[in-house]
Amino acid sequence: MLALSLIWLALGALLGAAATWGRLTPPRWESRRWLALPVLGAGAALLGGWLSALLLDHLFATLVAIWLCVASLGAARLLAGRSAKVGA
Amino acid sequence: MASERTVVATPQVAGGKRRQGRWRRAGVIALRGALALVLVVSALLSLTPQGRSAVRAALLLPALVTATEPAPLLLAGDPIRHTQSTIPSQDGPVYLDIYAPTSPTPAVPGAREGLLLIPGVGDNRGVAQLVNLAQSLARSGVVAMAMTTDTLMSYELAPPTVDAVVAATLALQRYPGVGRDHVGIIGFSAGGSLGALAAADPRIRDTLAFVLSFGGYYDATSMLRDLGHRALDVDGKLVPWQPDPVPVQTMAITLGQVLSESDRTILASGFNIVNGVELSPADQARLSPAGQAAYHLVTGDEPAQVNANLAALPPEAQTLLASLSPRSVIAQLRAPIYLLHDRSDIYVPFTESRDFAAALTREGHPHKFVEFTIFQHVEVKSGLGIGPLLRDGWSLYQVLLAALAPAA
Repeated sequence: MLALSLIWLALGALLGAAATWGRLTPPRWESRRWLALPVLGAGAALLGGWLSALLLDHLFATLVAIWLCVASLGAARLLAGRSAKVGA
Repeated sequence: MASERTVVATPQVAGGKRRQGRWRRAGVIALRGALALVLVVSALLSLTPQGRSAVRAALLLPALVTATEPAPLLLAGDPIRHTQSTIPSQDGPVYLDIYAPTSPTPAVPGAREGLLLIPGVGDNRGVAQLVNLAQSLARSGVVAMAMTTDTLMSYELAPPTVDAVVAATLALQRYPGVGRDHVGIIGFSAGGSLGALAAADPRIRDTLAFVLSFGGYYDATSMLRDLGHRALDVDGKLVPWQPDPVPVQTMAITLGQVLSESDRTILASGFNIVNGVELSPADQARLSPAGQAAYHLVTGDEPAQVNANLAALPPEAQTLLASLSPRSVIAQLRAPIYLLHDRSDIYVPFTESRDFAAALTREGHPHKFVEFTIFQHVEVKSGLGIGPLLRDGWSLYQVLLAALAPAA
């Protein structure tokens, strides 16, 4: 599980970096642009992987880690964008 | 006085910057699209039963064609344990090798699939490909149970062995975490035929998920006829066929059940690894007429007398061969049947699976039949080209998809 956890962290960070390149960073996080989404992605991937290992088979944990990570990155952009509009 | 430099935005510079901006925007859109695709594909593959079957089948396919466990399974699969146990049956003790995941049963779908592996005659418990397959299945979340009996290990086919298969199936259905109607049978060689016979038993007939027969026979009498002719009837033409010594010996030992003790002893004295059975003229003369008929059938040295030799066997032989043939129970089968056979099989004629498939079609029974070119009986040939591997690999993948559906 340790090796898998490290893989999930790395995948999540990579997807977070891709999201950053894709300009998905919420405006409020622009000051920490290159850290925010990779950290969020890594955390979401790790959480998704562990949840899946508990609820589904181990075999699908990496796939769950991936889609939960991407969904979290998208959700962060949507929610932060919405609260920015509300605050404006 | 210092001079001032003024940058003039020429049309070329402005145009270049616009192009750069366009490329950057396109890159951003492509990246976002790629992330969306990754989200959709990974969600579909992990959350839908079809997706999970596809992932399992893709990861297990290498295990079916090599003797090593695929690296992704070793890394991402469940931890497993191997236990052995024995259960009683009409055929005596049934030896079980169980390979199961050690992690708790997943909440989705709530029960594991169980697969009973019947490796055929001989003691195959330590065969690398079988162990590798069982371990790979377990790592993918399936409980794999390999079975054998003393009868099978003695290269003999006997009706009580069918009860042993049923007993093993029931044991697997009761295994902790396995869904009762999530259990299928995968039989290799004669194991496939035994699996089909067991599938007709009322104790498991309505709960069995499927039977997969890889290189099995359909009618023991027609297989004996093929041995006697040393030729196969392929689309109305007789094609020469030289069998391996194993089916020759197995048929000789099996027929020995209905022959005299003397005949059995004489036949056994001629067993060898080159031809299966070979007796001197003096030993042949000591056989009874029934024993001689059996000898000529299994050795194929009287191809023109096959029908006469079949008629010379004792009536008990016809009953025995019928009771060992899936042909006799085809109307009682309920579970889907998957038939796999290689055209160059020298253990069991591929025409047996063709006949089985044709009979299932006539019965309107759900089944799938695939003919391969990459296997020698049930083991992958060496030195294959990429074309045959891809073609047969795709067919095998589709069968795996269907067989692993209960696990999803």
